[in-house]
Amino acid sequence: MTTGSATPAAVELAGITKRFPGVVANDRVDLRVAEGEIHAVVGENGAGKSTLMKILYGMQTADEGRMLVSGNEVQFSSPSEAIDAGIGMVHQHFMLADQLTVLENVVLGAEPTRRGVIDYDSARRHLDELGISYGLDLHPNDFVESLEVGERQRVEIIKVLYRGAKVLILDEPTSVLVPQEVEKLFGNLRELKARGHTIIFIDHKLEEVLAIADTITVLRQGRTVATMASDQVTAAELAELMVGSELPKPSTEPRVADQHVTLSLRSATVTGDDGRPALEAVDLEIHRGEILGVAGVEGNGQGELIEAILGLRHFAGGELFLDGESITHWPVRHRREAGLGYVPEDRQRRGLLLDAPLWENVVLGHQTQPPYARGQWLDRSSARAAAGTILSDFDVRAPGVETSARALSGGNQQKLIIGREMAARPRMLIAAHPTRGIDVGAQAAVWDELREARREGMAVLLVSADLEELIGLADRLVVMLRGRITAELDPTNTSPRLLGSHMTGASVDDQGGVG
Amino acid sequence: MELLRSSTVLRWMLAALGVVVVLSVLQELARPETIDLVSVGTAESTLRRAVPILLAGLGGIWAERAGVVNIGLEGMMVLGTWFGAWGALEFGPWWGIAIGIAGGAAGGLLHAVATVGFGVDHIVSGVAVNIVAPALARFLSGEVFSGRSGGGITQSPRVDSVGHFDLPFLSGGELLGWRTPDMLGWTADQNWLLASDIAAVLSGITSSLSWATLLALSLVPVSVFILWRTPFGLQIRASGEHPVAADSLGVSVYRMKFTAVVVSGALAGFGGAFIAIEQTGVYREGQVQGRGFIGLATVIFGNWQPVGAFLGSLLFGFADALQLRDRTAVHALLLLAGVALAGLALRALLKRRHGSAVLLASSSAAVLWWYAVTDEVAGELPPITPHVVTLLVLVFATSRLRMPAANGLRYRRGQE
Repeated sequence: MTTGSATPAAVELAGITKRFPGVVANDRVDLRVAEGEIHAVVGENGAGKSTLMKILYGMQTADEGRMLVSGNEVQFSSPSEAIDAGIGMVHQHFMLADQLTVLENVVLGAEPTRRGVIDYDSARRHLDELGISYGLDLHPNDFVESLEVGERQRVEIIKVLYRGAKVLILDEPTSVLVPQEVEKLFGNLRELKARGHTIIFIDHKLEEVLAIADTITVLRQGRTVATMASDQVTAAELAELMVGSELPKPSTEPRVADQHVTLSLRSATVTGDDGRPALEAVDLEIHRGEILGVAGVEGNGQGELIEAILGLRHFAGGELFLDGESITHWPVRHRREAGLGYVPEDRQRRGLLLDAPLWENVVLGHQTQPPYARGQWLDRSSARAAAGTILSDFDVRAPGVETSARALSGGNQQKLIIGREMAARPRMLIAAHPTRGIDVGAQAAVWDELREARREGMAVLLVSADLEELIGLADRLVVMLRGRITAELDPTNTSPRLLGSHMTGASVDDQGGVG
Repeated sequence: MELLRSSTVLRWMLAALGVVVVLSVLQELARPETIDLVSVGTAESTLRRAVPILLAGLGGIWAERAGVVNIGLEGMMVLGTWFGAWGALEFGPWWGIAIGIAGGAAGGLLHAVATVGFGVDHIVSGVAVNIVAPALARFLSGEVFSGRSGGGITQSPRVDSVGHFDLPFLSGGELLGWRTPDMLGWTADQNWLLASDIAAVLSGITSSLSWATLLALSLVPVSVFILWRTPFGLQIRASGEHPVAADSLGVSVYRMKFTAVVVSGALAGFGGAFIAIEQTGVYREGQVQGRGFIGLATVIFGNWQPVGAFLGSLLFGFADALQLRDRTAVHALLLLAGVALAGLALRALLKRRHGSAVLLASSSAAVLWWYAVTDEVAGELPPITPHVVTLLVLVFATSRLRMPAANGLRYRRGQE
């Protein structure tokens, strides 16, 4: 069944294809993981890593392709079948019930019983044994809500081991950990490997991957790009493989920015949801008629940056100026009335009321301003008329302003949001991943609108994971890493590869050697 | 483990003793005089009135532990009253209880199909059950009870209750045909300080105890046991806490939720049947009187724990019993509330929460003043006493209450 090797691979995926409406998440992906190795699967967001792992763990089924576990062909229709085959998964977002104890979380679904009653004593013994032999110290009777992130992750790992898994999938396990916890996790993983477990490790932080993995497979846009031993590759080479350079380039235009600073941040510090600083001492200036691109691996403070500028998140320190006026403590509505426009990352959750008609969606965020409002009252007829104008001006394909937003395709929803924001003629437009998940035609339209905004003298902050988009549209680029701005680049002489290495923190010195 | 458990029992007994002591001190102090704060009659009535609320509360716990809000408890209790009365009429009281349980379970099944099966909003479905159940009961009454003597479109003929017993020796029950001495009753009549009061409460609980009450009370430990000691219970609770996690470990979340909601309906049905068969001896339209909703309040009051819901139901039962028996007793409760508020004010002061301390102290003063200048509370107050008490408890306890994390959320497999 397996060709060219004496022992069968622990896991072998061949020609896995998975389609979602409008997207091919996995396109004939091959992955071969040898027994007893730590195998890293790397790639950008949206490269198809998580989908591939969900298929392997039975949470989704592949449309095409074969899976072999220890040389036997398998098909999983649910996680419990994968568990039975010895595969366990540690999810990126922990699958733990906070108000249950560690022990209850571990035994759930695999409870040992004695006369119909859960035998907690024997479960506790088993858990202690696992804890001692793998160096995963935990108190079984603690409630999960009282645990630190690192401890929760250990609960997840124990949970998987308790079910006798030989193959462990870890989905971006380091994304939630601080460096010391990462060290501890790597110690645990090496211990697991020493005891014959096979580990599949999803990540996009290249230093970590090179530090822990034996073998690395790179995915890009749903395809396997390369598989290699980790000692035969540098971070820069990996970054290039991850990012690639195949996307159609959004065209650039001569720069029209002037010296006037529309928005500026002075040593802004913002606290993240976990209580740690998500932004640290960030200085930023955006000029009139300029697109400032923000590059960075997701979760390095871009989201918090946007929320702080909009007023959704408080500044722990620093100041924010709009046209020279301090708006640091203004509420969101005042900021929007003063001329902040926002194209959110998640248009369905933050941008629209899906079940409301289009004209109401157009009013949102401008409900206090003409033409939508007259005094304290909504001006329904002129709001409808204004919505109609937006539909035609921005080429939103919809039957009419009474249609519900849910009925529109992703691209048309996005065009509606951009139209809504642009129609209010903001001074400052914030666009977060404006072309994510929309088709090529809508993508081109969005790009046109952003260029139009720039021509009209708006300042535009563009946060995107699409490096070609950033390089093509932005007048200036900054890179965010761990809540700081770590580099400022001129897009005219930047390659995705260089940008990628800045984003992942791979040292720039590597560049010369590879070039 | 055994030692721990007996010490828990001891703690509870001490707490209960404390309550009796406080009440009997209050009874001595209260002016104008009241005799009903601690008496055989009040204790008996408290327990009897607590049972339907307890059953509704247990029903709420079962459903909400699985993550389904069951606001339809009220309607399921209505089904319990009708089917209970009908069953008792046709086949005898025990069959009535069983058929009432089945009626409530049918209501639960409806709620489960809607919320778990079709993903209907829990509140919408619950309200629907509450609307449909009384209408159905009225329709069925018209069909079944109308022609019979004492029956009509709004009520059934009288039905028998399941029977009761006195505990031997303690409350003069019969043992092998011999009438044992009624020790508690005798002590209660002696007017001994404290001892008589304690005996009165115990006598009220242990004499003419309905078998159905005993069965209902036993469902508290049974629920605890099933929900916390068995795999089935763990899976139910996990489904209400983090259904996606439970699903990823091979738990059949839909089945767990479904079962829990049907059990919830069955418990509510039992509560309804208890009202019809044990409390009133007749089905009468509207006799549930919001006890399903009060049961839901005890769920919150009891922090989603069966024992907590039991205590909550006793509180309601007590307030309910008092307001029926003696208005001066409710008036005496004002003294208790005033003193309790003063205590809370002191605690807030010690914790340096000055704002709450001032608020509590002034409320305390207001209540005590009210107590001092009146002899009787307004007629409107006694019926709402239970609700006021719960409101106060909820206000002061909410920070420590934890509902199941995924309670009330729609769960669709494969959607996150």
